[in-house]
Amino acid sequence: MYKGKFPTFSHSILVMIILLIGVAGLWAADQTSSNQTPNQMNGNHRHGSATMERTDLILIDSLSLFGPLERPAVAFPHDKHTQVVEKQNKDCLTCHKEDKGKLSLKFKNTEDSNRQDAMAIYHDNCIACHVNIAGKGKESGPVTCGECHQKKINLISVRQPMGLDKSLHYRHVQAQEKKCELCHHEYDAKTKKLFYAKGKESTCRYCHKEKTEEKRISVQSASHLQCISCHRIKLAENLNAGPIHCKGCHSREAQNRIEKIDEVPRMERNQPDTVLIRASVNAESTKIPVERVAPVAFNHKAHENYNDNCRSCHHASLAACTSCHTPVGKKDGQNIRLSQAMHQRDADPSCIGCHTVKQKSSKCAGCHSSIKRDKNSDLSSCKACHLSNPDGMQKPMTKKEAATLAARLIANRPSEMATTVLNEIPEKVVIKKLSDQYKPVELPHRKIITKLLENIKDDKIAGHFHTDPGTVCQGCHHNSPPSKTPPKCGSCHGKSFNTSSTFRSGLMGAYHEQCFRCHAKMGIEKPASRDCTACHLKKRS
Amino acid sequence: MSISRRKFLGIVGTAGVTAMVGKPSQAASNKHFKGYPNSTGVLHDTVRCVGCRRCEAACSKVNELPVPEKPFEDLTVLEKKRRTTSTSYTVVNQVQSSDGQKSFIKNQCNHCLEPACASVCFVTAFTKTPEGAVTYNPSVCVGCRYCMIGCPFEIPTYEYDQALTPRVMKCTMCYPRIKEGLLPGCVEACPTEALTYGKRDDLIKIARKRIQSHPDRYLDHIYGEKEMGGTSWLYLSGVPFSQLGLREDLGYKPAPQLTSGALSMVPMVVGLWPVLLTGIYAINKRKEKIAAKEQADAVAKAVAEANAKADEKLTAAKEKAQKDKDAAVIREVKKALEEAAKAQAEEGASKKTFKDQASSKD
Repeated sequence: MYKGKFPTFSHSILVMIILLIGVAGLWAADQTSSNQTPNQMNGNHRHGSATMERTDLILIDSLSLFGPLERPAVAFPHDKHTQVVEKQNKDCLTCHKEDKGKLSLKFKNTEDSNRQDAMAIYHDNCIACHVNIAGKGKESGPVTCGECHQKKINLISVRQPMGLDKSLHYRHVQAQEKKCELCHHEYDAKTKKLFYAKGKESTCRYCHKEKTEEKRISVQSASHLQCISCHRIKLAENLNAGPIHCKGCHSREAQNRIEKIDEVPRMERNQPDTVLIRASVNAESTKIPVERVAPVAFNHKAHENYNDNCRSCHHASLAACTSCHTPVGKKDGQNIRLSQAMHQRDADPSCIGCHTVKQKSSKCAGCHSSIKRDKNSDLSSCKACHLSNPDGMQKPMTKKEAATLAARLIANRPSEMATTVLNEIPEKVVIKKLSDQYKPVELPHRKIITKLLENIKDDKIAGHFHTDPGTVCQGCHHNSPPSKTPPKCGSCHGKSFNTSSTFRSGLMGAYHEQCFRCHAKMGIEKPASRDCTACHLKKRS
Repeated sequence: MSISRRKFLGIVGTAGVTAMVGKPSQAASNKHFKGYPNSTGVLHDTVRCVGCRRCEAACSKVNELPVPEKPFEDLTVLEKKRRTTSTSYTVVNQVQSSDGQKSFIKNQCNHCLEPACASVCFVTAFTKTPEGAVTYNPSVCVGCRYCMIGCPFEIPTYEYDQALTPRVMKCTMCYPRIKEGLLPGCVEACPTEALTYGKRDDLIKIARKRIQSHPDRYLDHIYGEKEMGGTSWLYLSGVPFSQLGLREDLGYKPAPQLTSGALSMVPMVVGLWPVLLTGIYAINKRKEKIAAKEQADAVAKAVAEANAKADEKLTAAKEKAQKDKDAAVIREVKKALEEAAKAQAEEGASKKTFKDQASSKD
C-alpha cells in the first residue's frame, strides 16, 4: 500500500510547482510589459517636450556631408536653446560665430572642415554646456548618445513656410528707405563678387534654390543669413525689427499677426502696364510679323493687383513669358510652347490655370464645377483674350508701340458683362416629373438667374469671359450654344438608362444632380438635398 | 510571422498540387473567366450619392422585407456604421473626411464575377447567373454558413431567428425584376442616379468617361473593376475607397483562385482515399490470408507427420507381427519339416528295414 501511494503524492507536488512557476512567469511578464510603457513614455517626456508640435525643429545632419551617418540625425529645438541663452543675458554669439559681418548659420563654426572636427564641435560643446547647466542644479539637456540620436523622433515639425508678400515687402522698402541694394544683389562670375544691379531686382528664389549649390546657397540659408542678421542689428539699435526666433516667422499665429498694409503702392521695377503677347517669332524683328493667331492684349498692371507676388506668374525669372516660351518651344522654357504656357489648365502660372482656380470660389463653382474638363470650349471664349487688331499687323512694332496698341485694345474691349433682359426670362418653370408622388415643383427660374448675376456683378473675369447674354444660361443649359431660348432639360434628358444614350443621365437624375451640385458648391444649405418635401410639396391626400 | 488561414491553405494546396501533379494551381481553376458576356451590373457613383436612403426603402419594398423600427426617412441612423442584416439587403453608410466633407456609400452584395460564396458552397446553393446576379437557392441550403465566412465583403446574413427554415439572406440584384425587364429596386428609386444599371462593360465606359470629364471630382479608379477578380457592382469615389469602408487589401485575384490550390486537393483526397484504404485493407487481408494458409499448412504438415509416424509404427508393428508370424510359421514349418524329416527318417529306416526285409524276401 505505501509503495503505491508515494509516487502519486510526489507527482501532484511536481504538477503544483510547474503550475506555480507558469503563473508566476506570466504574472512577471505582464508586470514587466506594463511597467515598460510608462517608463518609455516618461523617457520621451523628459527628452522631448510637453508639446509634441514645434515650429523650431532643426534636423542636425551636418555629418552627412562626409558620407552616410552612423547614428540617426538629431532633432534640435532651436527656440528652446535661445531661451536659455537669453536667460543668461547672452546673445547668438554664444553658439554662432561671426563670419564676414554676418552670423554663421553653423554651430560654433564657420566651415565644415572634416568629419572628425565637425563631430567634435557638436559633441564637445553640446555636452559641456548640458553638463555645466545640470551642475548648477537646473533642468538641462541630454548627455548620452541615444538621448540626442533618437531613431524615432516624437516631435512633429509644424513649421510654416515663410515669404514676403507685397505688403511685407513694402514695409521693408519703407524701413530701408528704398535702399534695394541692402537685400537685392546679382553675382558677377568674373570678379566672383556680389553687386547690385539697379532695375534687375528679382525674387530671391530665382537664384537661391531649394538646396545649396556650388557658389549659391539655398534659399533657406540665404534668407536666414540676410533676415536675421539685419533684424539683430535693428534690435540692437532699439528699432522696430522683425523676429529673430524661429516661431516669429514660422508659426501660423505669428504669420497671422504680421501687420498688413491695405493699399500697397505699385512696385517700381519698370514693368509694363500693358503687354501685347504675340505668337509671332520676334517682337523686335524688322520683318512684318506673321500672326498665326490674334495677339493677346494683357493688362499687366491689373494682374499685379490680383496676385500676392510676381512669382505667381513669373515662376523662373522676371523676363517676358515669350523669352522662354516660344511658339514652338525651346530648351530654356523646358520645351513648353507658348500656347501651353498660357492655356495649361493644371499649371498655376498659366492664364487658364489661374482662372480655373478662381472658378472654384463659391460664386463661380455652382456653374463651373459642372463643366466637363474634356469639353472643347467654344470659340467665343478664345476671342475674349485674342482680340483682333482693327489696324491689322501691317508694320513691325517696337515694344513700346506694341504696349500702346495693347492698351488701346484693352480700353476698347467691353468691360461689363453682357446682360440679359430679365423680363425675357421665364419667371417660373413647373416640373411635373414626379407628380405621381408629389405636387409639381415650381422652380423659381428668374430668381435663380437674378441671384447668379448678382453674385458675379463686380467680378472682372466673369465680366470679361461671359461674352454673350446667354453665357450665364449655359451654366444649367449646358452643351448648347448661348441663346435666349435654350433647349429644356427634357429635350436631352429622358428616360433613365436608355440604351441608346448610355452616357446621358435620365431626367430625374439630371435635375437632382444639377440642383444638388450647384447648391452644394455655392454653399446653399436650404433646401437640403435630402429634404424631399422642401422642393416637392406633399400632395394633399 | 503572421499568415492567414486562407493563405496558408493556398500555399499548402499549391505546394501539394505542384508536387503531386507538377502543374501550377491555376490549372485547377478557371483562370481566364472574364465574366459572362453582356452581363449586367450597377455603377455606384458615391460622389453623386446624397445619403437619402431611398434605395434602402425601395429594396425593402420590392423584396418584401420587414419594415424596420425606424422609418427610412430617419437619417439619424446614418450616424452609426451599419452592415447588411437578414432584414436589410442594403445599407447606406456615411463617412466624414478630415475636412468635414460627408460622403455616402451604399453597401450590398457586390455580385462578384467569380463569387466566393458560390465557390465555398458545397451544395451549390449560389449561382452566378449570366445576367450578373448571384442568386441563392434556399431549398438546397444546409445552413453551413460557409458563404458568410467566405464573402470578403461580409454581405450574406443568416436568419438566426427562424427556428425551422433559416435562410441566408443577401441582395439578389433584383434578379426576378431583371428577368421581367425592370430595373433593380434601388436603382429605380435613386433620385440622383448615383446608381446606374446597365451592361457591365458599358458601366466601365461610363465610369471612365466621368473620371475623364471631372478629374478633380473622382479618383482615377473604378472599384470592382478588378477587385476580387471583378464584381458586377462598380464604385466611383472622390475619397479613398478605404475611407468609404471598401477593402483595398483584397487584390485582383478572384476568390476561387485563392482557394483552388487547397480545394484542388479535395478531389484527390476524395479519389485517392478509398483507393489507399482499399489497398491497406487488401494488404491486411492478404497478410491474414497468408498467415491462415501458413497455419493451415503447418497444421497439415504436423498432422501428416504424425500420420506418417503412426503409419510407420503401424507398418513396423505389422511387419514385426508378420515377421513374427512368418517366423512362427517358418519355425512351425521347420519344426514340422524337421518333425516330418525325422518321421521320414524313422519311416525310412523302418522301410529299409522292411525293404531290406522285403528285398530279403525277394
